[in-house]
Amino acid sequence: MANKTLVPGRGVNGRDRAERRLAVRMTAPSLVIMALVAAVPIGYAIWLSLNQYSVRTAGLSRFVGLENYISALSSSEWWAAFGQTFLFAGLSVSLELALGTAMALLLNLAFKGRALLRTVVLLPYAIITVVSAITWQTMFQPNMGLVTNVLSALGLPGGDVVWLGEHGYAMAVIVLADVWKTTPFAALIILAGLQVISSETYEAAELDGASKWQAFVHITLPLLRPAIVLAAIFRTMDALRVFDLPFVLTRGANGTESMSMLAYTQLRENRLVGEGSALSILTFLTVMVVSVIYVRFAGGNIREVAKEEQ
Amino acid sequence: MIELRAGSLRTRLVTVAAAAIAAGLLISGCGGGAAPQGAEQAAAADPASGANASGSVNICGVKDASGIYKGTAEAFTKANGKVTAKYTEIGATTDEARTQIVQRLEGKSTECDIFLTDVIWTSEFASQGWLLDQTKLVEANKDRLIPSTVETTKYQDKYWASPFFTNAGLVYYQKDKVAKPETWQQLYAEAAKAPGNGYVYQGKQYEGLTVNFLEMLYSAGGEVLDDKGEVAIDSPETRKVLDFMSNGLKNGSADRAVLTYNEDPARLAYESGNFGYQRNWPHVYRLLNATSLAGSFGVAPLPAWEGGKASGVLGGWNLAISAHATNQSGAVAFIDFATTPEWQKHVAMDYSQAPVNEAAYSDAAVLQKMPFATELLASVKGAKPRPISPVYPQISQAIYKNVYAVLSGTASAEDAVKKMAEEITTAKASF
Repeated sequence: MANKTLVPGRGVNGRDRAERRLAVRMTAPSLVIMALVAAVPIGYAIWLSLNQYSVRTAGLSRFVGLENYISALSSSEWWAAFGQTFLFAGLSVSLELALGTAMALLLNLAFKGRALLRTVVLLPYAIITVVSAITWQTMFQPNMGLVTNVLSALGLPGGDVVWLGEHGYAMAVIVLADVWKTTPFAALIILAGLQVISSETYEAAELDGASKWQAFVHITLPLLRPAIVLAAIFRTMDALRVFDLPFVLTRGANGTESMSMLAYTQLRENRLVGEGSALSILTFLTVMVVSVIYVRFAGGNIREVAKEEQ
Repeated sequence: MIELRAGSLRTRLVTVAAAAIAAGLLISGCGGGAAPQGAEQAAAADPASGANASGSVNICGVKDASGIYKGTAEAFTKANGKVTAKYTEIGATTDEARTQIVQRLEGKSTECDIFLTDVIWTSEFASQGWLLDQTKLVEANKDRLIPSTVETTKYQDKYWASPFFTNAGLVYYQKDKVAKPETWQQLYAEAAKAPGNGYVYQGKQYEGLTVNFLEMLYSAGGEVLDDKGEVAIDSPETRKVLDFMSNGLKNGSADRAVLTYNEDPARLAYESGNFGYQRNWPHVYRLLNATSLAGSFGVAPLPAWEGGKASGVLGGWNLAISAHATNQSGAVAFIDFATTPEWQKHVAMDYSQAPVNEAAYSDAAVLQKMPFATELLASVKGAKPRPISPVYPQISQAIYKNVYAVLSGTASAEDAVKKMAEEITTAKASF
């Protein structure tokens, strides 16, 4: 389907050049819009992060170069938030991918009411995060929360744990809340991947005497890899920017303060625009680096798989 | 098909990256916008101007949950005849309202004549040249205002707002289980005696924890900043209070769940009847009376530290006139009305808020609606403002984060005190 004449680096003839000029003209408006919505704010934020604004000077700035970055990178708070954010992302994304794959396989089966079930499983994703965070907070409330009450009633351990008031437990609740909410999203992407695998491949495997499990390991999983990688990229980028869950559930206490929360506190509560912007840029760079790594390594896989398919 | 998907993956990556940038960076754009060029010398409000005011006055602030702001504006409009007052809600929560107010003030907006300000915002707003100096107005009304409430409007020897209603912590206690608290030591000892006697307060990592901690610190004779504004938190009193609070969690005086409580969860836990004491604000009285606990609980002012005297921390809301107000005389007339002894009685009777006029507390009609008015007045008069500084938010963070670390058992009191002092010093240096 790809139009070969538009691939750069191939032989250039007159018709190609005309088409390329046309392509440039047609994409120009969206490039300008992209520049306005992306490049301008980034540029402005980078400029802000190189200045120091104090409450005393009421908005007047002083150019300080990389000072804000140096002080952020030498603070224990930044590294604590950095580690906590990665811990959160690692735990939540791996659980979401595993559960999402299982859910997608289930939804891919032909059974009555499948369409309805597909809609229903998406419900958690449709709920605003802040609202679901407040619900989780209520459920894990000590003394009167649903979870603590059920655990105590069943005589299970955990009924007397102050879930959101203890190190470790607080992170577990936040991961759980995120997994509950976004697993359906991962499942949806993986399901789309499942549906492009042709049934002929399985029929051929069956003829060759492959078991269901062998078919899953040797056919489904490799062919599903691009979809899983895509889901992983989306979820990782979101997870690294996490703000609302820890903000509502713990206000960053008990080892749950994320990089975005730190930036928010400096910008909004303390009105330290320079320091806060430096923290946002650092958060942004972290997300960028991680996604570039994904595309470089996992993205290569996508291309390989594509070639094999051809 | 898959070739296309690989291509669209990259396209989508760019989109996601753009969204990430926009989300992360738009926030930063807001803070740096049109800011005033240096703190200007703010003009002063003329107390006499209210008499011949006309036109309309717009008061802006947080969502009007109890109806007090709109009610006051309506009553003023009716009583004054010449000036119309209107209340505009600009934020659902205190934090949101503050953001909205700061944006308007930085942008020199003339939309609002009066801003409803939390007592802890005064120094920051005044230091920016955002408010009209109300010293003369406050001086003229001083004899009808409780001195501690006037203190919350002070910055660098001038008054920048007029108190509208105040707020002070109270202790609610189950009369059949525990004794009325006189000292913190007695309260904690009594609370540890039986499982159902426990104490609940606001121990989550947020502003409320700063308040709960300062109430105890002040009564123990400690302070955050001394009279000269120097950091004074590294003191034996701070260590004593931190140890006391963390021991209270260990020996069961206070329920460990308080580490997750702000005002409402504390109230709800107390309503279950499983606790003896609760520290909360006056509005809880009305809510508790609507539960099965009605009639069985008493209200007390905050206790003293053993061998000392009680001293709480003031909350409440003030009326500040914007430096860019278009109707300053109308604003003065409104403030005059809102602080009259007559209207202050309504503040208590109609809206269950703590008046800033002392006489209101002994008024028979008020006492009927608010039987704990005497205890409340004792708390209000004994209360001190929170540390006065334009960088108050940072000071409060230094306090609540480190106090929380001690309470949750991740830091020793000694380390926390050192860190608090260090962070408050850094915060002060950022101004």
